[in-house]
Amino acid sequence: MRADEMEPSMTDVIDAVAGIAEGSYLAALRAQKPDLVRYSQGSHDVLLAPDDPGGLSLAERTAVALRIAVLDEHAALAAHYRERLRAVGGDALLEAAERGPDPATPARIAAILDHAQRLTTAPGSATPAHLAALQAVGLAPRDVVSLSQLIAFVSYQVRLLAGLRLLAEAPQP
Amino acid sequence: MTARKFTMEALDWDSWLQTIDVAQATPEQIAVLEKSLPTAKTSPYYLLLVHDVAALGQRSPLFNAVMYGPRGLPRAERELATVAVSHINGCAYCASVHARRFAELTKQPDIMQRLFDEGLDTELEPRRRAIVDYAAKLTRAPQRMTAADLAPLRAVGMTDLEILDLTHAAAMFAWANRLMQTLGEPVAPAKM
Repeated sequence: MRADEMEPSMTDVIDAVAGIAEGSYLAALRAQKPDLVRYSQGSHDVLLAPDDPGGLSLAERTAVALRIAVLDEHAALAAHYRERLRAVGGDALLEAAERGPDPATPARIAAILDHAQRLTTAPGSATPAHLAALQAVGLAPRDVVSLSQLIAFVSYQVRLLAGLRLLAEAPQP
Repeated sequence: MTARKFTMEALDWDSWLQTIDVAQATPEQIAVLEKSLPTAKTSPYYLLLVHDVAALGQRSPLFNAVMYGPRGLPRAERELATVAVSHINGCAYCASVHARRFAELTKQPDIMQRLFDEGLDTELEPRRRAIVDYAAKLTRAPQRMTAADLAPLRAVGMTDLEILDLTHAAAMFAWANRLMQTLGEPVAPAKM
């Protein structure tokens, strides 16, 4: 089944995290751009809950998303990913995702979370050596692509949520 | 980061990881490449991203809807926002592509050249100033924005649908820049 033929999720993550209620001003505004809604949610689904996760587990993916939401100081998005991390059995990754890896953190998840932090806070500082570090802990090229898409997607999500928050606070007079 | 790294000249992009050989691609990968961009099957960037075909299969239609979808913010203004974001993040490849798109749409290449030469504070007409300032703040400090950040956009007549589009364009380049800058690098095109 192709990704764009999947059943839409029951809950739109942006609406849920932003507190956009059915029938509200923002729901009506977003509904004017259905492709933006559909493919934003679709991106979330294929990156956080893919049919075939390859070599990057659901728990690792969700821990990355939580790490970025924490770094970007988005409490509601962090709560969303924290809940998902517990739901996919990722409790062991919770502390590293919340606080960042420390010397006791297993090397693989530490490398993944370090990469997430670099791309979130200083994307211009990435070099081929950073991709080699991911491959050294077992990520295949496809997994590196999936990880990069996921990190970049959460950066998108944080900014979309910020814009929607402003529009909710002060809708067009 | 210096202003000098930014150019309106066309750049190529080299992948740091092995890309998919299009002759070995699955039918699903070919289908997603074909709906991504007319030239995707010869683009190292797309041939890299198609490693995760499901992700690209959602991202490409999102990107195309954000940049080219009907109604809402004029296309040139979406391009302007993406150039501002790419400038801040330091993505010379993205800035080059979208500065040229802006120039094609507006016939005003001088504005982009000045933006690269002088930076984002260069003098702009009020509507463009408001767009660049909003995109810049959304890039640098999204959580520190307040409703007051909408006032300059509303003062130049922007509707909420246009602000929604502007938000998506700026956010999309938080995404695009991070891929382009961390999976490969811009290179000067091979001389003919």
